[in-house]
Amino acid sequence: MASAFRWSKPLLGDVLVILVGLIFVTCLFKALWHNEHAAKLQIRLGDKIYATYSLDQNRNIDIQGPIGITRIVIANGKARFASSPCPNQYCVHQGWLSHKGQAAICLPNQVSLELLGGEKPFDSLNY
Amino acid sequence: MTQSSKNKSIEIQTTSDDHRIAKLAAFAIGLHLIEAVLPSPLPGVKPGLTNIVTLFVLYRFDFATAAWVSLLRVFASSLLLGNFLSPTFALSLSGALLSLAVLFFAQYLPRRYFSAVTLSVLAAFAHMAGQLLVVRVWLIPQSGVAYLIPIFMAAALVFGVANGLLTNYLLRINPAKLDEDKG
Amino acid sequence: MRFLVLLFALILSACGKEPLVQTKSYVFGTLVDISIYGETEDKAHEVTTHILQDFQRLHHQYHAWQSDSELSKLNQTFANGKRPVEISPELAQMLMQAQVLSKKSQGLFNPAIGSLIGAWGFQRDEFTPIEINDLAIQKLVQSNPQMSDIVIKGNTAFSKNPAVKLDLGGYAKGYALDLALVELQKKGVKNALVNIGGNIIALGQHGDKPWRVGIQHPRQPKPMATLDLPSGWAIGTSGDYQRYFEKDGKRYCHIIDPRSGYPAQSTQAVTVLIPASPQAGVLSDVASKPIFLSAPDQRANAAKAMGVEHYLVVDAEGKVMLSASMNQRVHWLAKPATIVMQ
Repeated sequence: MASAFRWSKPLLGDVLVILVGLIFVTCLFKALWHNEHAAKLQIRLGDKIYATYSLDQNRNIDIQGPIGITRIVIANGKARFASSPCPNQYCVHQGWLSHKGQAAICLPNQVSLELLGGEKPFDSLNY
Repeated sequence: MTQSSKNKSIEIQTTSDDHRIAKLAAFAIGLHLIEAVLPSPLPGVKPGLTNIVTLFVLYRFDFATAAWVSLLRVFASSLLLGNFLSPTFALSLSGALLSLAVLFFAQYLPRRYFSAVTLSVLAAFAHMAGQLLVVRVWLIPQSGVAYLIPIFMAAALVFGVANGLLTNYLLRINPAKLDEDKG
Repeated sequence: MRFLVLLFALILSACGKEPLVQTKSYVFGTLVDISIYGETEDKAHEVTTHILQDFQRLHHQYHAWQSDSELSKLNQTFANGKRPVEISPELAQMLMQAQVLSKKSQGLFNPAIGSLIGAWGFQRDEFTPIEINDLAIQKLVQSNPQMSDIVIKGNTAFSKNPAVKLDLGGYAKGYALDLALVELQKKGVKNALVNIGGNIIALGQHGDKPWRVGIQHPRQPKPMATLDLPSGWAIGTSGDYQRYFEKDGKRYCHIIDPRSGYPAQSTQAVTVLIPASPQAGVLSDVASKPIFLSAPDQRANAAKAMGVEHYLVVDAEGKVMLSASMNQRVHWLAKPATIVMQ
């Protein structure tokens, strides 16, 4: 190319299109970039969030609560209370959590499980 | 077309415009081939330099010509590369078609406010969208593709702007009344 | 140019997160979940902490079996004789309110049967099967402790019947909900949702749509329905699936029928929906119990007596019965096999 490359003055329409393009791309990132594949398990102990684990890695988690050690098992993309020191074992009876939004709790040992993500169809559960 | 019973040669009348278009089409094919051979950081992400040719033709000639050049490029390149009717060809064609469709309308945008940069960005998004559509519907029908869409669209935006700027430059140094030897 | 940048920034911020602050805590011997919408994080945390402290206080002050709670001390004096004892104005008010409700429920809501509840082992943090001593149970039933046995004058109280032992388990959570609502309004919070062990009260809305609550399925680990909770309304459920033990294949839950001395057997769950009122929380806790304890053909009457218009019953076989007005509000997630309207 013979002549020097000079920037021409940007036209109003061009700038507009570029801005809209930027917004569009940003929204795409926001909308599509939230790890859809692996659901996450959030474990709470007492008031605080104890840990968050991806469900795509099998593991056992032992948590020390007020009355003893609760064991949580993640396997095959699902999670459950495997054992807990509570006398009634309600938490263990809840079985496998597999869908986003599902939750289980061991009240005596103050451990709760929740599969994050998914649109919860309600704000709070009455029971 | 003239045909004489004694003279068996066939003459096709061509104009200087035809020559120019042929040169531009050849140039476009050349660019396509080069891009096909160059490694890219991410599969599917290419600078799309051939869009510059398409746009240039659109500005200097008309939409129909640009469409010809673009489609000629797609078919000829795929024949030359040996992937005619393959998935690669489908991607190339879908991108070109959708991008042309958008340009068909975008060409009427007032030149006072919108330069080739706008058309290039719009064409780039359309091109990418056309390709992603083929990927999603035909080639890889899983939702894993969703993860890549923002990246591809961001690349489309960046290259769209770059190509648009280059096109503006080329248009500026090759003003409307062309000498046959240049460009 | 600058305008465009501002516009861009504005649009970006709109794609941002919603201002919902949710806190979960273990108070009242159960899980408390407070959601505050539309306030700054600092204010939401400040208000929540304050309310949780209130709950702690209520929990300790009116604890049914910790011997150093105000309630236990009152129970002691009830057992020892008829001498009037001074009590806090709050407790006096609670007891009077409970008396009115007990009367309305024809005695099915009876917080004076603490001894019976203790006999079944439900006055502990954990429940294990007990040896069922029918004789002892019958004796307790015959001693007939009633709320009407308590005489409250000003800030003093005494009981005409030494068998009266107060257990506010079926009342305190509801009372706490009403208290929380007042606190929230005092602090200027416009939108919140308070859940104490499953009992919920709503304030305002969740942004531009009403607060929505799920109703737990009595036998499966998932919700069976959802409904919208308008501002000031409360919802409560009495169920046999939360506090119970199983013995010889039979389930014994913590809701005791004062007439028989035995846990109710005819129902899995009763959910009541209470419109806004200063007592909405209390009613959401109390009003489900008489319906739960009633025989199938008496449930509608029990609801009427408590002034409850919107209620849902899952009976022992899993059959669902609900009032017409409740039916209009409920969105089923898994429509049950049998639904009967009352």
